Amino acid sequence: MAESALELAERALAAVRSGDGAQATVTTERSLLLRFARSRPTQATGIEDLTVEITVVRDGHVAGATTNLTDGDGLAACARAAERAAAAAAADGPDGAPEPGPYPGLPAPAAPRAHAGHDGETAFLDPARGGAALEAAFAAAAAHGTEAHGVWTAAETEVAIASTTGLAVSDLLTDAFMTVTAIAPGGRSGYAAATAVDSKAIDGHGLAERAALKAALGGPDAEPAHLAPGGYPVVLEPLAVGELLGWLGHLTLNGLAVVEDRSAFAGRLGRRVAAPRINLSDSPRYPGTLPRAFDLEGAPKAPVPLIQDGVARAVVHDRRSAALAGAGAESTGHALAPGGAPEGPGPTNLVLVGGGAADEAELCQPIERGVYVTRLWYTNAVRPKETLLTGVTRDGTFLIEDGEVTRPLADLRFTDAVLGLLERAQELSARPVLTGEGEFYGRRFATGVVCPAIRVGEMRFTG
Amino acid sequence: MQDLLSALMDAAAERCDYADARIIHSREESISTRNGRVDELERHEAHGAGIRVRYGGGWGFVATRQLTRAGLEAALARALEVAEAQPGAAPTPLTAEPPASGRYDSPYARDPFEVPTEEKLETLLAADTAMRGEAGVAVTSAHFQAWSEERLFASTEGALCEQRTVDCGGGIAAVAVSDGETQVRSYPASFRGDVARAGYEHFAALDLLRHAPRVAEEAVALLTAPACPAERTTLILDGQQLALQVHESIGHATELDRVLGLEASYAGTSFLSTEDVGMRRYGSPLMQVSADATVAGGLGTFGWDDEGVAARRVEIVRDGILTGFLSSRESAAEVGLERSGGCMRSSGFDRQPVVRMTNVNLEPGDAGSLDDLVAATERGILMETNRSWSIDSRRLHFQFATEIAWEIVGGERRRMLRNPSYAGITPELWAGLDAVCSRPEWRLWGVVNCGKGEPGQLMRVSHGTAPARFRDVAVGVA
Repeated sequence: MAESALELAERALAAVRSGDGAQATVTTERSLLLRFARSRPTQATGIEDLTVEITVVRDGHVAGATTNLTDGDGLAACARAAERAAAAAAADGPDGAPEPGPYPGLPAPAAPRAHAGHDGETAFLDPARGGAALEAAFAAAAAHGTEAHGVWTAAETEVAIASTTGLAVSDLLTDAFMTVTAIAPGGRSGYAAATAVDSKAIDGHGLAERAALKAALGGPDAEPAHLAPGGYPVVLEPLAVGELLGWLGHLTLNGLAVVEDRSAFAGRLGRRVAAPRINLSDSPRYPGTLPRAFDLEGAPKAPVPLIQDGVARAVVHDRRSAALAGAGAESTGHALAPGGAPEGPGPTNLVLVGGGAADEAELCQPIERGVYVTRLWYTNAVRPKETLLTGVTRDGTFLIEDGEVTRPLADLRFTDAVLGLLERAQELSARPVLTGEGEFYGRRFATGVVCPAIRVGEMRFTG
Repeated sequence: MQDLLSALMDAAAERCDYADARIIHSREESISTRNGRVDELERHEAHGAGIRVRYGGGWGFVATRQLTRAGLEAALARALEVAEAQPGAAPTPLTAEPPASGRYDSPYARDPFEVPTEEKLETLLAADTAMRGEAGVAVTSAHFQAWSEERLFASTEGALCEQRTVDCGGGIAAVAVSDGETQVRSYPASFRGDVARAGYEHFAALDLLRHAPRVAEEAVALLTAPACPAERTTLILDGQQLALQVHESIGHATELDRVLGLEASYAGTSFLSTEDVGMRRYGSPLMQVSADATVAGGLGTFGWDDEGVAARRVEIVRDGILTGFLSSRESAAEVGLERSGGCMRSSGFDRQPVVRMTNVNLEPGDAGSLDDLVAATERGILMETNRSWSIDSRRLHFQFATEIAWEIVGGERRRMLRNPSYAGITPELWAGLDAVCSRPEWRLWGVVNCGKGEPGQLMRVSHGTAPARFRDVAVGVA
């Protein structure tokens, strides 16, 4: 019988000979990803791989090594590299003398809660299912005179952790993701995407239909209008909202950033930071999310209320950031790497509670003249502490006139603060949906933001 | 391994139209200090094979770490299954290419993986500590990075070649915080510094300790510096920021897969079309740009690309006119080119090759040194060291911010300015290029986080630049 991920983690842990404690983390990936462009398949990637990461703690310092070589020699070499690194880290302090590091030690075992984040059929990774989704998307796009571009992907991943504190946990997950960009002959484009635990929930035809209708809005001869820079009321679809909230999680809701005074929440917990209708949490078992049982230190993931009724309530922590924060702070189960990632912890299951509008059309109704945004692209932080971002709209930017979407707009650059946009949020749609970018750099680690569409009183467009 | 791979290609030749495979052994070391302590000390190693097949009009690629005959054959079978399961499409041709053979080793004086960790830490901690003496500095960090990659490539056309590359570099940064204002200063480049295809000697030559006090002083000085004004003015960019400008507005825009619409779903397209070659004015006649996989020290320098195409130099812009694209065997054939540009690269064994930059360089001009260029500028702003970047999916509308700027008045560098930024449209910016510094100011800058592809790949590329001047640019936009 094949060795399980947890058995491999325990075998890797047994290879460690020194240090005050150690953790072995195994992340496995079996994935299939089909790309397409101009309504034909272009690239297809299947991956079967794993990463063993051995983390050694010594005098409050953490260091590690990774490998995918799982024979005895490979694991021993990885363990020796981690031990040497930890010893070197512990040997150097600020004044050249050894000094204890800030890591409070590996967590004690705690039972993670079960979730519904795995689907057996999805785990089969049937390429025919992907091929059928592509066929359906090509047909739907063609029916509207457009070509389909995008990706279909499904994966089974597992995270298993064993540590010298007796921790031994594993988490088996599946995820599936599809995007369709429909491009009309004149170059106008529309976009739709879906993310789910179960690949059967991915409807290639439906996505292509939605994307094609956006590409064709206003008719084949409609030329995108150009809007002068300035502030406009906007309706942001969930994909755009999810992008903004992802940045907020990275820049602001990160406990280490608060400790280091880099976060907009530093010194502002308990104060109003957004409109009263904004309720944001990290909820790892919320229906429709991509659930996870524990973080990469093996700490059970806890739901964390981040913004309640517009008031900043909390940030997420890993063990290091919690120790640095003091005042009784504890890990909330948000470590992004064994021993904590250098950039700090981060939310992986953000959920923004919906509001009172039935849908995006109802959100548009009060707007006399504004902008409808499908998605944002190439966003980047300009001034992180202000949550000031810049980026461009893409694949479905429209003018709202007298409460209705009327015609396509040329893509716009925005430069605005996420917290400012949340402060100016006027209404949200009722049904939050799971959004994700599915970029999968490195070992696949699927996350998503569950959020509704939002109407914002003013968004600053700069070009 | 060579015999194993050759046998696999023999088996593949009987079952598909074309196949290639690469066995890649990659190693990476990353060391960081933060506030005088070791913050990150990681070593990574991965070894596996990526097998790509072409069956009918479809491609299939499967990555496996099972480097046995059975493991590779199973991966080949799965790649064929994946290729066959996709909707049918008419095959497209590949440009002809002589089968690659031989070995290439990137030069280095000292293998960074053989240097004791203690020696690296000593350098990093000394520089980190030297930044902490400045009041107002909240976070200091110092970074070392190294990569080693051994690649064995074979194809059903008879290619069989091996190469090893070694990359190394690092940098320092200081973050100053005061009353809601946060400023960062880095050396020699932002986002963990500068990396070259070289050994430990490149890291040592950065001399981080010598620059640490200045970096800290400038971070603190930025807290109280006046803000960059919002206006249209003359803009001088230092080499690193110009490298990123080249990367985003020339490198990505001239990737032929983007031009052909093959990356529309993720990376985006391009404002260029295939008919533009020889016709479209990209910018001023001072623009001379090449994609050169042969230049010493570049992160895009190699023996062969990931289709076995020998490293070459491709002219992209001559005298301001578009003359070429970055291409693969398939994309080059689609537009009627005789040869691939040799730009297919993969980030590891578990990613298939896609069209990537090699070293996209803006050739030096004759404006002398940076000081000469400032002295020859009556009024303007000098911006240095990238802080943020964003550009639209066609590579037209961009906005950049840098860490620091200085106003130029009467040919002299005057006040420091905080929060500098500029924005524009690619051909308009390049049309305003009216001076490029001379060869002694020209150097390669490494970019180690170039993202593209699905699943995502981070590629290491370089750009050769010298400081340059642009007229009539919108600054102070953020």
